[in-house]
Amino acid sequence: MTASLFTPAGEAATAGVTIANLAKSFGSHLVLDDISVTVRPGSVTALIGPSGSGKSTLLRCVNLLETPDAGTITVGAQTVHAGRRIADRDLLALRRQVGMVFQSFNLFPNLSVLRNVALPQQKVLGRSREEAEERALALLDRVGLRDKAQQHPQRCSGGQQQRIAIVRALALDPRAMLFDEPTSALDPEVGVEVLAVMRELARDGMTMIVVTHEMQFARDVSDHLVVMADGRIIEEGHPATIMAEPAQERTRRFLSAVLER
Amino acid sequence: MPASLTAVLLGLPLTLVVTAAAFALGAVGGIPLMLGLRSRFTPVRLLVRLAVDLLRGVPTIVWLFLLYFGLAVGDVRLNSLGAAILGLGLVASAYLAEIYRGGFAVVPKGQTEAAQALGLSRTTTFVRLLAPQALRTVLPTVTTFLLMLLKDSSLASTVGVLEMTAQATAFSRQNVSTAGLTPFFVAAGVYIAISVPLAIAARVLDARLSGSH
Repeated sequence: MTASLFTPAGEAATAGVTIANLAKSFGSHLVLDDISVTVRPGSVTALIGPSGSGKSTLLRCVNLLETPDAGTITVGAQTVHAGRRIADRDLLALRRQVGMVFQSFNLFPNLSVLRNVALPQQKVLGRSREEAEERALALLDRVGLRDKAQQHPQRCSGGQQQRIAIVRALALDPRAMLFDEPTSALDPEVGVEVLAVMRELARDGMTMIVVTHEMQFARDVSDHLVVMADGRIIEEGHPATIMAEPAQERTRRFLSAVLER
Repeated sequence: MPASLTAVLLGLPLTLVVTAAAFALGAVGGIPLMLGLRSRFTPVRLLVRLAVDLLRGVPTIVWLFLLYFGLAVGDVRLNSLGAAILGLGLVASAYLAEIYRGGFAVVPKGQTEAAQALGLSRTTTFVRLLAPQALRTVLPTVTTFLLMLLKDSSLASTVGVLEMTAQATAFSRQNVSTAGLTPFFVAAGVYIAISVPLAIAARVLDARLSGSH
């Protein structure tokens, strides 16, 4: 129970994510226009851009919470082609590889913290209740929340809830993690607790795609920065480089707007 | 007064039977109707919507008459108790289906999305996550409906079920010169004696559930 708690030990702990030529429209509005992104196994990609740029939609396409109209998504050895009917089996196989953390935590209010983390393990991985709860407690301990196990999530602070949500996803041994503005609903001083867990996860070698407005996190933790606007990638590359010298005027305006807040 | 109380209490068991049976029928029957109202398949949804609106659109007393006087399978007709329970129960199922549907509608979309992202099946999501949350939300409304049903059970008197209101009416008619309105005041008192503790119990349960929430 040391540093490898977050990522399952053994064969191919983490997986790469490849998004190729992805397109998606809501009605006549094109929200994703021919997007291709490659995320190496064990690397962290930060997605930034103004609201409405399509970054959350892109993230939600990776585990098919949104159905893309065209393109392919590959996680590890699992590829899904948009446009064709996706079999339930392939859908579940893809989702089993990928964990997701939402802006609004989305913990289940009818279950205790422990059951929030244990129930999915039992239902999705077929673990026994004892095994699932043991793993849940170990992970909760790791993020400093073991004493909250028997409480209901509403009794926990926002920062605690988000850490529980991260643990709930990690308990299923995902090979990649998606974060959709995980700190946007939190006060800055609480967001720090969540970012600390994410930093640790990145250090452990988890593949991560993070939609965020936390520029310092993006610069310090991510290996690759993708800037989106109007459904397209307008710039991508090394975070420090882009932040120091954005090649696009649009990126420069966005960065200065975010940093001025 | 004691004589009228005795007479009214004679009807109490049937009042309770009609209320409980119609509520049970409605509470269970409301589930498939609610599922139909939420169906992904438009024809199913429209058909169930039509049925629910039909059940709710006709006065309960008319349903009771139709079932009691109109429904016959071969030579077999519903007796008055059967017609009352079936009529009140059918109407209850329509109202409860709407109440349930409302409960599911207010469960945040993020709950379903989180369950999907975790890879939980549709059934697990519904049974273990959405239904308990929806049920929790609708509990006060369902209690209110049960109290209304308790009072609506008096409609059973119109098809000859000798529940409390029927007993009060009968006693009043048999003692025109002496009874006056007394049996009806007595009946009112008994209805209140049942409904107020029920309402209090429901509030206590509600507070306890929201405490743990």
